[in-house]
Amino acid sequence: MTLFPRASTMLAFACAAALLACAPARAVTIDTATGPAEIDTRPDTVAVYDIAAIDTIHALGVPIAGVPDKLYLPQLGDVAGGAVVVGTLFEPDLEALNALAPDLVIVGGRSSRQAGETARVAPTIDMTIDGTHLLAEARARIEAYGALFGREDAAAPLLATLDADIAAARDAADGRGTALVVMTNGPKISVYGPGSRFGWIHNELAIPAAVDDLDAGIHGDAVSFEFIAEADPDWLIVIDRAAAIGSGEQNATQTLDNALVAGTTAWTKGQVIHLPAADLYIGAGGASATARVLEAIAEGFATAQ
Amino acid sequence: MTTPRPIRGDLVAAAVLLVVLALVSVLVGVGRLSGADGVELVLVSRLPRTAAALLTGAGLAIAGLIMQTLARNRFVDPMISGSGESAGLGILAMTILAPGASIALKTLAASGAAFVGTALFLVLARRLPPTEPYLVPLFAIVYGGVVGALTTAVAWEADLLQYLSIWTNGEFSAVMQGRYELLWVISALVAVAWWVADRLTILALGRDTAVGLGLNYTVMQQAGLAIVATIAGVSVATVGLIPFVGLVVPALAVRRYGEDVRAVLPIIAAGGAGLVLSCDIVARLLRFPYEVPVGTVLGVVGTAAFIAVLLARPRHA
Repeated sequence: MTLFPRASTMLAFACAAALLACAPARAVTIDTATGPAEIDTRPDTVAVYDIAAIDTIHALGVPIAGVPDKLYLPQLGDVAGGAVVVGTLFEPDLEALNALAPDLVIVGGRSSRQAGETARVAPTIDMTIDGTHLLAEARARIEAYGALFGREDAAAPLLATLDADIAAARDAADGRGTALVVMTNGPKISVYGPGSRFGWIHNELAIPAAVDDLDAGIHGDAVSFEFIAEADPDWLIVIDRAAAIGSGEQNATQTLDNALVAGTTAWTKGQVIHLPAADLYIGAGGASATARVLEAIAEGFATAQ
Repeated sequence: MTTPRPIRGDLVAAAVLLVVLALVSVLVGVGRLSGADGVELVLVSRLPRTAAALLTGAGLAIAGLIMQTLARNRFVDPMISGSGESAGLGILAMTILAPGASIALKTLAASGAAFVGTALFLVLARRLPPTEPYLVPLFAIVYGGVVGALTTAVAWEADLLQYLSIWTNGEFSAVMQGRYELLWVISALVAVAWWVADRLTILALGRDTAVGLGLNYTVMQQAGLAIVATIAGVSVATVGLIPFVGLVVPALAVRRYGEDVRAVLPIIAAGGAGLVLSCDIVARLLRFPYEVPVGTVLGVVGTAAFIAVLLARPRHA
């Protein structure tokens, strides 16, 4: 254990020395999940272990040198082509990372626990996005990456799009009643409240929750179908976890199509919104992924009877 | 061995207790029974869930009894000594190779895999020295762990790790009309076990004695294996992996009532059914209105019971 403080102290000294050696004017302070961090701007070689970060940085037009083995979102297909695989979302391949010799490593969400490992190879920042205020953080990340990579010009239209999408989704849902966020996992279901990873749907889009005292569990709460019948939401917002991870398993519609759910207002009025699962579940907070989710929400509220 | 306790009175008590538990189970849930849809709620949700818990519990306890007979050891449980894990592996293979397959096909794959996995366990367990009875459960846990690890590795590669947890953590939250009916197969299997009960008693005496008594040892062994594998497959595919029932219930019942399979089979079935149903009622109430997996509740209850079984043994040995 004594090695670690020593190593980190040395790292801190090294960073400080590096900062002093370089022109301090090129450093920028950005907000990360672990607090503000001062980083040299325009890192040339970047390895990113977070799908949302990859999505946003890609949307800014910045090339990414190192990525995890799977990017899940088909829209990110061309990122993989130009990048080296430096491990998985859950486990960095430190040798590959070392060979890449990045100027900066970005972790977040599922990979945030690996920050300590990757920091031994290169400066690492944790850009985890929390689900309770996802939209505000998505915005902050676009601004931070824009400043970091000197792409403020590309960040501005992304921010404008995000704001417009948020406004459209809020308008579409305004006054349409309560909603319950449900995730299907094969045959089973769990529900998510305002304090959960999908809490932003209630908190930031001002969509009232059908059950307001839902526990704040990040991973949702397992419930029976009786729970949905009893909650009787006006809208069901559905996330199909099996679809999110790309398995062709039993789909959400099949799971929810039963006698108990059929009695709810949401089901009888056809007010069931299926969200793009991978964008919400894996790319949550990424610029283009979030745009697609917001568009699905706006469209869902607009097209139902 | 202790003198077997008279069973009839206890059986009546168990039946009464089961009826009471079933009534409680029908009354406990998130939906309100008082409304106009109360009857529908009972038919669509409460009765299926109660039946599912009863069938699964009875099935797992009987599977445990047969498994313990086949392994000639009272400390094995099909769900934690390879059968359940193998069933999970079968379902996982099906999910990867034929994702759209029906639940019946998945059950078939689960049962097939459980058959192979259980047979391999028995072949390997037979090589252990018979003088060391505790080696069998130890090996069983290691074997179950190895199969489980293999399943996890495959799921990891296929990115189905969390999806796998649906099968490795048994729960009844998804049970309702139209989603559990395959479990009724278990009632048929319990009937088959009842039919061959005397032959199972002889099987437990070991190969030489059994053959000497005119039993077709191999056929009987395979029949027992098939019952265990099918119960494991059906229950894992429908409600997931529920541990300890197959260990604790038969081990305690046999100690109390003796080794005659025909005599103990009803009380074991009732005991398993009652244990799983009461744990499911607890699972529904612990974090009401949310659900706790019944497998988790049984993990806690079962561990305590397992220790009790281990500690209690020397007194009667």
